Amino acid sequence: MKRICFIAAASALIALAANSTTTSAALNEGAHAYIIWPRDGAVIPGGKFWLRMGLSGAGIAPAGIDRPNTGHHHVIIDSDLPPPGEPIPNDKKHLHFGAGQTEAHIELPPGRHTIQLILGDADHIPQNPPIISKKITVIVPQ
Amino acid sequence: MPRTNWLTCITLGAALSLPLLAGAQAQVKEAAAPAATRATRTPAPADAHVYIGWPNDGEVLHTRRFKVWFGTRNFGVAPAGVTKANTGHHHLLIDTALPPLDEPIPNDKHHLHFGAGQTETYIELPPGTHTLQLIMGDADHVPHDPPLISKKITIHVQ
Repeated sequence: MKRICFIAAASALIALAANSTTTSAALNEGAHAYIIWPRDGAVIPGGKFWLRMGLSGAGIAPAGIDRPNTGHHHVIIDSDLPPPGEPIPNDKKHLHFGAGQTEAHIELPPGRHTIQLILGDADHIPQNPPIISKKITVIVPQ
Repeated sequence: MPRTNWLTCITLGAALSLPLLAGAQAQVKEAAAPAATRATRTPAPADAHVYIGWPNDGEVLHTRRFKVWFGTRNFGVAPAGVTKANTGHHHLLIDTALPPLDEPIPNDKHHLHFGAGQTETYIELPPGTHTLQLIMGDADHVPHDPPLISKKITIHVQ
């Protein structure tokens, strides 16, 4: 039953997609990601905090979900932007939030750290142009 | 197989096909009513949490149009129609009580749907005191079990 339902829904979606000239990676002009919290320059004793991810002009969809004007968040820590056109790496410096999360519990060692958001599409590839946040710096005291 | 599942299926398919099917609106309306009640709701983890990140409870706003951002912890966002565990999409309740929890959330001026996976919005309210509350809905706009409901906040628009 569920399968039939899925097929019905999928067929409808495919029909819709065929009618649309928008590609999955396309986002509204002016869509942008931003870090709601922490603030740029924040001093975070202990280094543990909830990072809150903001997205304007677009929606969140989990990885693997191909919908126009959506993507999922990736958090880049102490690293530059990954190369365009390729899947965002998945390691300690590139955290994936493919379950559609908009918050992440982060733990950083003492020191200065940079944090930046980049949206990825269903296949973890940045949109073109990329939807990125400002790169912020946080300080974890010794 | 419960009849309601079929109808939900038909409704979903019809709703998704709507832009393609001129004149299909009558069918959708007929199917929508019976699909309103379901035997089971989509489960949500006990530690999932939904909150209004902005404005704060009791906030006095000096502008009629303002941003509301939606916070979700231990839970993900997915567009309407996407069935994936531990995800849902936001609905913003304005000046109203919670809807029934075992049927699709209404879609009107008091119940705004964010089925494109949005995590923030701008709303415009007349001067006065208003309440805001978030509730997540599953792929079919039905609240989860347990329901993911934010605190109901009160704001004052000047």
